[in-house]
Amino acid sequence: MSGAIFKLALRLRMPAALSAAAGLIAVMVAVGALFPAVGHSIGALHVPKGVSNLLGGADYGTITGWFRSEIGSIYGPLLAGALAITGASATLAGEEEDRILALVLSYPVKRSTLVAAKAAAIVVVVVIIALATWLGLIVGVTVAGGGISIWHMTALAVQLAFFGFATGALAVAVAAATGRRSLATGAAAAVAILSWLISSFAPLVGWLSWLKYLSLYYYYAGHDPLGHGIGIGGIAVLGAVSAVLAGFAMLAFERRDLRA
Amino acid sequence: MNKGLAIATRGLSKDYGSGRGLFDLDLEVRSGEVFGFLGPNGAGKSTTLRLLLGLIRPTAGSARVLGLDMDADSSEIRRRVGFLPGDLALYPKLTGRDMLEYLTALRGGGVNGRYRDSLVERFDADLDRPVHELSTGNRQKLGLIQAFMHQPELLILDEPISGLDPLVQQSFHALLTEVSGRGHTVFLSSHTLSEVERVTHRLAILRRGRLIVVDSVENLRRVATQRLEIEFAAPVAAESFRALPAVTGAVADGRTLTVSFEGSADAVVKAAAAHEVRAIRPREDDLEEIFLRYYREDPV
Repeated sequence: MSGAIFKLALRLRMPAALSAAAGLIAVMVAVGALFPAVGHSIGALHVPKGVSNLLGGADYGTITGWFRSEIGSIYGPLLAGALAITGASATLAGEEEDRILALVLSYPVKRSTLVAAKAAAIVVVVVIIALATWLGLIVGVTVAGGGISIWHMTALAVQLAFFGFATGALAVAVAAATGRRSLATGAAAAVAILSWLISSFAPLVGWLSWLKYLSLYYYYAGHDPLGHGIGIGGIAVLGAVSAVLAGFAMLAFERRDLRA
Repeated sequence: MNKGLAIATRGLSKDYGSGRGLFDLDLEVRSGEVFGFLGPNGAGKSTTLRLLLGLIRPTAGSARVLGLDMDADSSEIRRRVGFLPGDLALYPKLTGRDMLEYLTALRGGGVNGRYRDSLVERFDADLDRPVHELSTGNRQKLGLIQAFMHQPELLILDEPISGLDPLVQQSFHALLTEVSGRGHTVFLSSHTLSEVERVTHRLAILRRGRLIVVDSVENLRRVATQRLEIEFAAPVAAESFRALPAVTGAVADGRTLTVSFEGSADAVVKAAAAHEVRAIRPREDDLEEIFLRYYREDPV
């Protein structure tokens, strides 16, 4: 891996990652502060099953359900996925479309090295979001009065990181194979959103419930890390998907013409 | 491959379909020469350069660069070559200094810092402002510095003086002469002759993806159509001159007739002698016109 390429890719993504991380922590503290005041009354509301599934169970009456619905189901994966996908698309396909890679790859840099360095930068961005989620959970849960073990909060952050790796790797793979930023962003975002919808709705229809196994989101949240801790199976699947997609990206980029 | 060749291509082709691309390019660039690679926009010049650097793959043919195989030794070739893309793009948020530091790091220790600094001074490059705030000319200076900074054995430059003011162009031409004097090779692509005329030893002209001619500027001048401007005492009919053997064109403007011909001027002079001649002035064919002719049609 090229240290210079990794450092620059990270530097260019860092402002977005840090501001998103700070915003996420602030939201989580606010969410924690709201729980004592409104959590129990919202928890008493009847929520349709489909909506409840979309929100990770929508068990607002408990601190675990409160944070699972707000952070675990929505903000966490949204931010981790969005930053991983847009970052991966921009750093690879975006620079190719902007013709910067035509100069960079005229240097003695292997294409697989370039892909690895840029993917590593995206990994760091996702880890920053996961760390922010973890810190925000600790502070938010403390503000809310406690009730979730630190291990379960760690579990959510770890599962979230692997979800970010997988969605980022998907964007890297499409970007490497096509050199098209909009296609990489669109395809990876579509898969992430479909994953969320499938994981939420497939279990409601008996004969479609098997579809959840095709969902990246299921391997992140299906095990309910905030309630049950680390799901090794989910992490293994997301890790394997990320590794396969990264390998594919290197091969695909090695074999094609640079577009611009 | 002959050791005296910096670049040698054999049937090098890149077919984009619909007649676009590069076809059967057989080209030899000698070590130590400044070689001009000319052609109109879309002729296949940039495609050739991108093939040589492994940025795109050929559909047929092969090439050796500095004695190395274009495909198998691509990384080593790129280590020993300096490249300036025609449509240079840099990271807009980086300053010129950061950009050069980054590219120096990619060279992996092959850059002499003092030499790089001397290039910065020579081109008076602005290293403190972000690239997106720089003018085209100032960005081009950064492009030139990065191409030359590791003192490569071969420089591949695509439209290098684009956007440069005349003073910087002069510095650039002086630098080309210096590196050529050190025995390094320069492969210089352009769509205008004036960009390469002063500095190239030989040049090639490409049109619609095919090589039309490879020769020195002097030889191209020698084979060019010659012209005589004849001033008569009274207007004469151009048609009578057009009918002469070897005459390719005759244009009358009042009492002045301009006759283009190939080979001997004998027939033209004898025909002119039938009238009262005030003056005969030889007109050297404008070199740019020679090239435009190559661009427009297949020379016979």
